[in-house]
Amino acid sequence: MSEEIDFDAILGKYHSDPYSYIEICATQTGRVSFKIAEGDTVNSPSGEWLHIPGSQLFEITRERNPKLVTAKINGTISSVRTELEGQFVEAGEKLLTIRHPLKKKEVIEGILKEVLYLFPAPERAKYFFSLDIQSRIEKKGAKALAINPGDEIIIMSLMKRDTPIYYTGEAGVIHSVYFTPGVSVDQGQPLIGVCALDKLPLIQKVITRVKADWDKLSDPAHLEE
Amino acid sequence: MAALNRPTPASLHEYIWQQEKNSRSQSPLLLSPEQILRYGAIVGSVIQCHSSMDRTMDQARQHISDLEKTGVSVASGTVILADTLIRSKGRFARSWHAPLGGLWGCLILADTFLTRARTLLPLTLGISCCEAVRELGADKACVRWVNDVLFSGQKLAGFLVESFHSPHHDETFHLLGFGININNTCFPDDLENTAVSLCQILGTPVNLHDFTLSFLAKMAWNIGLLAYEEEQELDRYYSSEEEKSHLLLDQWKRLSDTLGKRVIYGYDIQKKPQYEARVIGIRPDGALIMRLDDGNEIIEHSGELHYL
Repeated sequence: MSEEIDFDAILGKYHSDPYSYIEICATQTGRVSFKIAEGDTVNSPSGEWLHIPGSQLFEITRERNPKLVTAKINGTISSVRTELEGQFVEAGEKLLTIRHPLKKKEVIEGILKEVLYLFPAPERAKYFFSLDIQSRIEKKGAKALAINPGDEIIIMSLMKRDTPIYYTGEAGVIHSVYFTPGVSVDQGQPLIGVCALDKLPLIQKVITRVKADWDKLSDPAHLEE
Repeated sequence: MAALNRPTPASLHEYIWQQEKNSRSQSPLLLSPEQILRYGAIVGSVIQCHSSMDRTMDQARQHISDLEKTGVSVASGTVILADTLIRSKGRFARSWHAPLGGLWGCLILADTFLTRARTLLPLTLGISCCEAVRELGADKACVRWVNDVLFSGQKLAGFLVESFHSPHHDETFHLLGFGININNTCFPDDLENTAVSLCQILGTPVNLHDFTLSFLAKMAWNIGLLAYEEEQELDRYYSSEEEKSHLLLDQWKRLSDTLGKRVIYGYDIQKKPQYEARVIGIRPDGALIMRLDDGNEIIEHSGELHYL
C-alpha cells in the first residue's frame, strides 16, 4: 500500500462516473433467452433473508433443463448482447452489463478494498469467527486485534461440518468484516479486510477524506446515502 | 484404569462381515454388500479405548500431531472411544453431558473425498445411528436435518464434524464426533425434558459393546456408500450419463422426518432463531429447501432446525 494516496484522483474518478459496471456471464452452456432490454431497471434480492429473488435477467436452457438467472445487484441494464437471443452460448460468455449506482458507503468500501488485504472465502459456506477471536473482538474490538499468518481466525460451516480457516495474509488488524454469521458467503468473496498496524492512520484518513469530500463535490441526483 | 467398553478392530471386522453383510444382503439395493463394505473397511482400522478423557476430538488432534512428530501418519478410520468425558461440548461451545453408559467417541478420516462426498459426510453419522437404534427396536427414531437423532422429539444423539489441518504434514482430516445416549439415564436439569437414552426408550439396558460394533459397522457401510457414489459420479462424468439419485441421500430421506415439517431455522438456533418455514425438499448436495410464509423459497446449506 502506498504511503501517498492521491485523494483528488480517486475521488475525481468516482465523481465523474459514480457507478460500477457488473458484467453478467452465462452460468452454464445452453440456449439463452433474455428477459430484459437495454435501459431496463433491475432490482437486487430483497426480503429480510434476501430470499425474494432479484429481477429476472435471462433463462438458459441445456438439455431441456431451463435455469433462470436473476439480478444480484440493482441498477440499469447498460448493454445486452441481443444478437445472442435464442443462440447456444458457452458457460462464461458475457451476456449483459448492469450499471449499478454507488452509495457513499460502497465508494468507501471500494477504495478500502484497493488498499486492504482481502482474505477470501474458500468455499460457498457460512462463516463465524473462532471462539477465541470472537471473545477478543467483543472485549477490545476488531481494530485492536492483531492477527498473523497461521492464526486460526474463522470457522467455515457447511452441512454442520466446521472447518478452521487459517489466516494466510500479511500481519495486521482486522479493519473490515464482510460476512455476517448465519449468512452464506460465495466462494472468493472477501471475509475480512486486514490492514498493517502502521497503515491504520492512513486508512482512517481515506475514510475521513471520502466522507468529507464526497457530499461537498457530489451531484445529489446521482448519489444515495 | 482400563476402559469398560473395549471393542477391537478384529471384533468389528467380524461383525461387519457377518451381521452387517447379512442384513445388508436382505435390503432391496441392487448392490453387492461386499463392494460397499470394502469401500468403508477403513472404519475401525485402529480402535483406542479409554476410561475417561476431556474430549475425544481434542485427543484425536493430539494423536494426529504426536504421530506426525515421529514421522508417522495416523491410520484413517482410527476410532477413539471413552467411557466418560469430562469436558465434552457440542457446537458453539454448548455443554454436552457424557457420563458412563453412553457411546462417546470420534472417528478420524483422512480427507480423500471429492467435494460432494465431503459435503454429505456429516449425514453418515445420523443415518448410522438411526439405523442402529431402529435395529434394536426404537422404530420411531428419526433423523432431523442435518444429523440429529430424535425419538418422539427428544434428542437421542448429537454429532460434531470438524476438519483439522495437521501441523507437520499439513494433511486434512475430518474428525467425526459422536455422542449417543445409550444406558445413561440421568441428565442435567436443562436437558431433562429434551434428552433421552436408548435404555429409557427400550425399557431395558443395552449391551454397549454390541451397540458400538453395530454403529461402527453402519458407519463403514454409509462411508462405503459415499465412496461408491463417488465412483459412480466419476463414471457418469466421463460417459455424460444423467445424474441418478444418491444412495446415501435416499437412505437419509427414508430415515428423516424433516421433509414436510414446519420448522424454525437458525444458524445457531439457541442463540438466534431466524425464521419459520416449511421444509419442502433436500437438494443433491444435502442443502435444505424451505418455503417461507410469503411463498418464496430459501435454501440453507448449514444451520439448525426446531420442529414446530
